[in-house]
Amino acid sequence: MLFKIAWRNIWRNKMRSIVVLSSVAIGLFAGMFMIAFFQGLMKQEVDNAIETQLSHIQLHNPAFAEDKEVSALIETGGFILDQLRKNEAVKAVSGRVVTGGMITSSSTAAGVEIHGIVSGDEKNISSVAGDVVEGVYFNPGKKNEIVIGQQLAKKLAVKLHSKIVLTFQTKSGELTAGSFRIAGIFRSRNSAFDQTTVFTAFDDLALLLGTGKEIHEIAVLLKDGKQADSLAAGFKKNYPAVQIQTWSEIEPEMAMLTGLMDQMMYIIIGIILLALMFGIINTMLMAVLERQREFGMLMAIGMNKTRVFFMVILESLMLTCLGLPAGIFLTIGCVQFFAKKGIDLSAFSEALSQLGFSSIVYPQLQQSMFLPVTLMTAFTALLSAIYPALKALKFKPAVAIHKL
Amino acid sequence: MNTLIEIHNLSKVYNPKTIPVCAVNGVDLKIEEGEFTALVGPSGSGKTTLLNLIGGLDYPSGGEVKIEGVDITRMNENKLIDFRLKNIGFVFQAYNLIPVLTASENVEFVMLMQKKPKKERERQVADLLIEVGLSDKRNSRPSELSGGQQQRVAVARALASKPRFILADEPTANLDSKSAENLLEIMAKLNKEDRMTFLFSTHDQRVIDKARRIVTLVDGKIVSDTKNQPR
Repeated sequence: MLFKIAWRNIWRNKMRSIVVLSSVAIGLFAGMFMIAFFQGLMKQEVDNAIETQLSHIQLHNPAFAEDKEVSALIETGGFILDQLRKNEAVKAVSGRVVTGGMITSSSTAAGVEIHGIVSGDEKNISSVAGDVVEGVYFNPGKKNEIVIGQQLAKKLAVKLHSKIVLTFQTKSGELTAGSFRIAGIFRSRNSAFDQTTVFTAFDDLALLLGTGKEIHEIAVLLKDGKQADSLAAGFKKNYPAVQIQTWSEIEPEMAMLTGLMDQMMYIIIGIILLALMFGIINTMLMAVLERQREFGMLMAIGMNKTRVFFMVILESLMLTCLGLPAGIFLTIGCVQFFAKKGIDLSAFSEALSQLGFSSIVYPQLQQSMFLPVTLMTAFTALLSAIYPALKALKFKPAVAIHKL
Repeated sequence: MNTLIEIHNLSKVYNPKTIPVCAVNGVDLKIEEGEFTALVGPSGSGKTTLLNLIGGLDYPSGGEVKIEGVDITRMNENKLIDFRLKNIGFVFQAYNLIPVLTASENVEFVMLMQKKPKKERERQVADLLIEVGLSDKRNSRPSELSGGQQQRVAVARALASKPRFILADEPTANLDSKSAENLLEIMAKLNKEDRMTFLFSTHDQRVIDKARRIVTLVDGKIVSDTKNQPR
């Protein structure tokens, strides 16, 4: 009977119940969508970094990792490359020579990181080839070609097929320079990367560096990125002389940012739920105070305080149980819609690009997040009903019965 | 006859620390089983307060209220609620039915709290609604009933717990004369046939005429206590 009374009570004032129900649904939706937004944002940033520059795992000579010394090459790099290609967990590998230098055009110069790559291998591991907006990602058989970022091209005031000069140190410590012609201009989602990274053919750069067939860096892309830690641990055992780092070790700030975002999300959800809590307390309190005479009568005819308390909680619980599925469906619908369409933040694209974020965010929601957020919302709604329920217990039947 | 209600030197003072108002002032009263007693007096004479104290809805400032020898003024709130459920039926001036329940559910509700078995509840609800002449309205909600019908449901609800006595606070105050007459007949019949004890406060001369004992209160004190020949 208590269930029946509670159920019918919540529909006595439909508008008020719809307000509570909507608060629960919108509270849950806001929390979940916030998580989906930030998860999508962070995943895109990590994926972007992995696809454009980091890969899942990188191998270096330990001395190279410290100060990018040209002479710090990976011993038996070619052998390791071959071994990694045979590994079933590995999707693609690429050997690189990498050095820092100056890029000079007829009008200005800039500091850059020069990557000597095998374009065939690099296409499998990096998205830069797909980001080429002008020209091509190297012409097969052509010598001394360079691919640079759009932002850098703008800064250097150069165009496709313009000539630039790269100046850097050789393996023996001599300063050298080489003339390159721009074969392609790319635009990735990270403007900082575009401004500071250029690509040349492996053989052209190795010739100038004097490194021969040796390599500075092996980038490894895995079939399943979640295996990065375990596979890196295995590689460390196999190649003890080589420094092996996962993407989160190479860019600890990014890993830290991801963790920080998770914590931020819970803080934001906490604030949303706090607002929801006050909303529900207000509405339920109104519902209780309006029915003062009724509560007085119930206690007068013998309804004990436990039942009175339980009845108010039950009403809140029922509203919550109606609001939660509504919130879940709203979240699923919105996340699915925006996961396809994306949320266009192009008004902030400049700032987002500087930070390596895409200007279109595709929200993503892990199913594992539904349970904790749903429970948090349900708990909030129940907690909110406690004060109004306690208030109902304080009514004195003799006084409450005569309240209008 | 057994003494059902025994009141000794009962008093109730409101706002004792600010502006004290003595609503009941040293009342002594005995109600025997099977009585049909009217508590009369002008507005503010303390009728409702006295009924509240007898019904355990409020605590007195002094004195005692014994129901079949048990002093209810010493009970805590939870025990009082349980005591009311088992021993006292209430009929209020404003009917005070549960608006979301039907007539039969309102009557059944008290029995549910008493944890009576379903079959017994169903049988008793049917009997009580027949007794108050509302068997055809069993599925109507209070908003679909007239004032008189609602008050008859309230009487059925008061009887549902099989109480030792029924307290009725101005039961006919909101009723038209026909409904009031009808309600009084039901109450009188219950008193006569089932020996149900009734104690009610009233201004209504029709109710006073039906009473077999009239207790008059003025300024919280009993000024007269007389037998009456019901008309």
